[in-house]
Amino acid sequence: MLNFVVKRLILAALVTSAVLLISFSLLYLAGDPAASIAGESASAADIQKIRELYGFDRPMLVQFFDWLWHALQGDFGQSYFFKMPVADLIADRMTVTLTLGVSGMLFALVTAVPLGVIAALRPNSMIDRFALFLSVMGQALPSFWFGLMMVVLFAVRLNWLPASGSETWMHFVMPTIVLGYYAMPAIMRLTRAGMLEVLGADYIRTARAKGAGPARVVVKHALRNAVVPVVSLAAVQMGFMLGGSIVVETVFALHGAGFLAWESISRNDLPTVQALILIFSCFYIAFTFLSDLLNAWIDPRIRIG
Amino acid sequence: MSTTQTATELPVETYLGQLCRRAFGHRGLMFGIVVLGVVIFAAIFAPLLSAHDPYQQDLLARMKPPFWMEGSDLAHPLGTDFLGRDYLARLLYGARISLFIGIVAASISCVIGTTLGVAAGYFGGRVDLVVTFLVNVRLAMPVVLVSLAVVAILGGSLNMVVGVLGLLLWDRFAVVMRASVMQVRGLEYVNAAKSIGCSTLRIVLSEIMPNIVNNLIVVMTLEMAHAILLEAALSFLGLGVQPPTPSWGLMISEGKQMLLFEPWMIAIPGACLFALVLAINLLGDGLRDITAPENRG
Amino acid sequence: MKYPVQSVKRLLVLGGLAVAAVPVGGFGHAWAGKADDTLKLAFTKELQSIDAYYNSAREGTIMDQQIWDGLVYLNPLKGEFEGNLATSWAWLDDTTLEFKLRKGVKFHNGEAFDADDVVYTLDFVTNPDNKITVPQYVSWIKSTQKIDQYTVRILLNKPYPAALNLLATMIPMYPNEYYAKVGPSGMALHPVGTGPYAVTELDPGKHFVLKKYAGYHDGPKGQPSIGTIDVRTIPDVNTQIAEMFSGNLNFMWGVPSDQAEKLAAMKRFTVVNAPTMRVGYLVMDAAGRTGKDNPFTKLEVRQAVAHAIDREAIVKSLVKGSSKTINSACYPSQFGCEQDVTKYPYDPAKAKELLAKAGYPNGFTTDFYAYRDRPYAEAMLAYLNAVGIKANLKMLQFSALTDLRMKGEVPFSFQTWGSSSIDDVTAITSLFFTKGLEDYAQDDQVNAALGEGDTSVQPEKRKAAYSKALKRIADQAFWAPLFSYNANYVFTPDVAYQPTADELLRFYKMSWK
Repeated sequence: MLNFVVKRLILAALVTSAVLLISFSLLYLAGDPAASIAGESASAADIQKIRELYGFDRPMLVQFFDWLWHALQGDFGQSYFFKMPVADLIADRMTVTLTLGVSGMLFALVTAVPLGVIAALRPNSMIDRFALFLSVMGQALPSFWFGLMMVVLFAVRLNWLPASGSETWMHFVMPTIVLGYYAMPAIMRLTRAGMLEVLGADYIRTARAKGAGPARVVVKHALRNAVVPVVSLAAVQMGFMLGGSIVVETVFALHGAGFLAWESISRNDLPTVQALILIFSCFYIAFTFLSDLLNAWIDPRIRIG
Repeated sequence: MSTTQTATELPVETYLGQLCRRAFGHRGLMFGIVVLGVVIFAAIFAPLLSAHDPYQQDLLARMKPPFWMEGSDLAHPLGTDFLGRDYLARLLYGARISLFIGIVAASISCVIGTTLGVAAGYFGGRVDLVVTFLVNVRLAMPVVLVSLAVVAILGGSLNMVVGVLGLLLWDRFAVVMRASVMQVRGLEYVNAAKSIGCSTLRIVLSEIMPNIVNNLIVVMTLEMAHAILLEAALSFLGLGVQPPTPSWGLMISEGKQMLLFEPWMIAIPGACLFALVLAINLLGDGLRDITAPENRG
Repeated sequence: MKYPVQSVKRLLVLGGLAVAAVPVGGFGHAWAGKADDTLKLAFTKELQSIDAYYNSAREGTIMDQQIWDGLVYLNPLKGEFEGNLATSWAWLDDTTLEFKLRKGVKFHNGEAFDADDVVYTLDFVTNPDNKITVPQYVSWIKSTQKIDQYTVRILLNKPYPAALNLLATMIPMYPNEYYAKVGPSGMALHPVGTGPYAVTELDPGKHFVLKKYAGYHDGPKGQPSIGTIDVRTIPDVNTQIAEMFSGNLNFMWGVPSDQAEKLAAMKRFTVVNAPTMRVGYLVMDAAGRTGKDNPFTKLEVRQAVAHAIDREAIVKSLVKGSSKTINSACYPSQFGCEQDVTKYPYDPAKAKELLAKAGYPNGFTTDFYAYRDRPYAEAMLAYLNAVGIKANLKMLQFSALTDLRMKGEVPFSFQTWGSSSIDDVTAITSLFFTKGLEDYAQDDQVNAALGEGDTSVQPEKRKAAYSKALKRIADQAFWAPLFSYNANYVFTPDVAYQPTADELLRFYKMSWK
């Protein structure tokens, strides 16, 4: 197991460095951000001044290693736009994104797992079909459109929920549903498939034969076995979701890291964009790593491969 | 020899017949085919279905409502947009854009992903390690964020968006193809072909590909749907296809301005987008069900 | 596997109906606002920093007006300067400006205001090591001298007619002891000024709470009325409107004309339209910077573009409000903005004729850049297309476009300029036609005439020089001036406020009805 963990850690480190290099060279292409720093009413001479002050006239590799050296120490430089350390900025915004990610994932699990279980218990029933219907819909619904429609209905028409902001838990209701809905189908399908498989297994039949009640069978025996791959999938989905929160945060004007990413892209705030790509990637890598460990722990065959 | 030949041909025919029977009995698949058929029809015959030019503006007839609302004008059955352009015409031509993006982006991804996946599955060893690593790197890059950044840097246009999505969505092709090839790699006829000295390319193309093409088609539909949704999201965020191209995502983005007062402006293109993606997904699921019924779930 | 197609259909139909039938609901609400003396207002853009010298957005200038004061104040109604932190001033010569400072003014933290604060602030912002974001606002200052505790002199590099304009709106005075201690990053988190409002709560870029400053001096801004102003960033206008409906917002501005019209028709809010100094125009590469053979180097092509666009229709249907078409390369009220110039009325036939004469009987294809107001740009696209000019629209962010423009890679673009609300052509024409990197005319005659106007302090001489420059610009159609902008302000009926043409919100002039 230790061997496996070390191997995976090395892989994760390699992937991280590849992402690092790609994101830097990508944004280097963006050219010179001096004009965006100077703002709307700066003259050409002002911009040239700023260019020299910030060192944008140095060669690419010099800038890359300079950035890398500082990034390794947790210093992602100054945001061109906010004139404050990018690390502080992101730390501040990340709370909203993580809250959203965690609540979205909880929403997905709380709705998808029971639906998947019931669907597996009663294959081809109304509930099974409804669950399937939901999951098919979920895959096809454009999240930004879904979000806008919810704003029209719940914020404007019914006035039940606030349309934007992140001050109270009420503000998170709609974004949570929109983001969580996105992760639901996969989790539900996996729960259903896992449950069907487990329910057909010998030990469940044995448990039933021994006279265990249906609820007991489902919860104690079947679900326990079906849930581990679901948790592992949820971990991977979590990584995707954080990356996907950019659209949801923009629609609901949640001041999280995703929204910051979108704004920073439009503002040519390169240090922030670089750091965000890196951080979202690292989240994904970390969650995948956890998921791998979880899988290896329950299925020893994986450890060898 | 001749008797064996007829014996092998006969089951092939029944297999096709079986497929058709299963297809007709599969409601999701039929729904997908019908909706997709309608969209393709609309895209091809757009000029015949609407008398209007989707780019023709009329500033005096801006934001006319669709036919079911008060104040509508029958000359514009689905109303007009913020520049007085016919909404129906823009939707019809928008279908072309969405289909183009879905097909081209998925094809680019397909070529990259299949090449990598087949190579990894067939050769194994170091090739497999490298491909797995590439897939990992690709998966770790947040798609929306990276494509937004690239489009922001290099400028948005239809070709740019298609290119970026094509270069980003190959991971599933690679993963599925790798697994599929690994399954058939060790089969007898592949070994037989190797033993009579067939070239690698020939073995892959004539012995392996036909066996995994079902999976390929399923992934292709999924990625088409994925690309269409992503283009819409990018255009919605203002960093996708550029105006005045009638992309559905762009129409939603433009209609969003009047979200509170003219919700039909986003409801209509949104519903089209939803129906198209739903149809493609149902088609993919259906194809998987009828070609490999044991894989449903 | 079977899909419940029936329910799919049913749901689609239901969903479609529900959404299409949803109008804006009419629901009553108790307004948050007057009862707790808190006015809630929204910004669309995130503020870089509240420190006025470290941001370049309009929102920043607005905040600066509430928290700090300048040496002088520009009365927006009379268009005259009034003493603010200075009680009087005088030009000792063309390049020396002397101020007598107001006595007894205290900063929000209790620090007293005097000549040391003025000298420290101006020395700080003119020092290039401090990397301020808006060096263009202070680049005219050579040095600042303290004469006595309440007298200062500002020395100029060369005569600069817009000096007082900048001192009034763009150059707030900072407390020297506090600023020396905390610096720009501290000021960005805990701003301290002399202004009518003091910041009590601040979440960078997101949320600001301002409270009335009890010790505010009796200056030209007057005493503030509303106790608390709560400013949030809500990037989307629709979300802002939704928040207005749900009673979580009292005031919004910069509302697009279509939404403003609908809101006005509902009669639930006060909707006020005011003109602004921002103008829209097309810039064409007459100098051939993007290539010697580019079509815009030909006078007839530029004139054809000017004739091709129906500016009246765009103003009437899209820009609306108090906007007007313009013919000169500046905002009509600006000092020196000559109105008697060559005009190019809408005439597509003539445009085609001119194109043919220039050697493009079948038109040509070009890239067309823009950074805001996509609907206007798209409308122009269609007009250009109608005379045979096939323009590919490229929407970029402002900074990205500026960068390209300075590299000389933009043949044709839709630009707008707000002149930083400075009522003088130096803030626009002189900026873009003096052979700088953003000058696509590179015309010696225009440059010479503008140079003459910019370095003189005699009004008549300046006027004559600018007239010459602007006439030449119009004759040569270096720009195709389009229209002036307008701004819509929407607020709840319990708020009293009179918007001004300089697009600067004055919280201290707002009150409850």
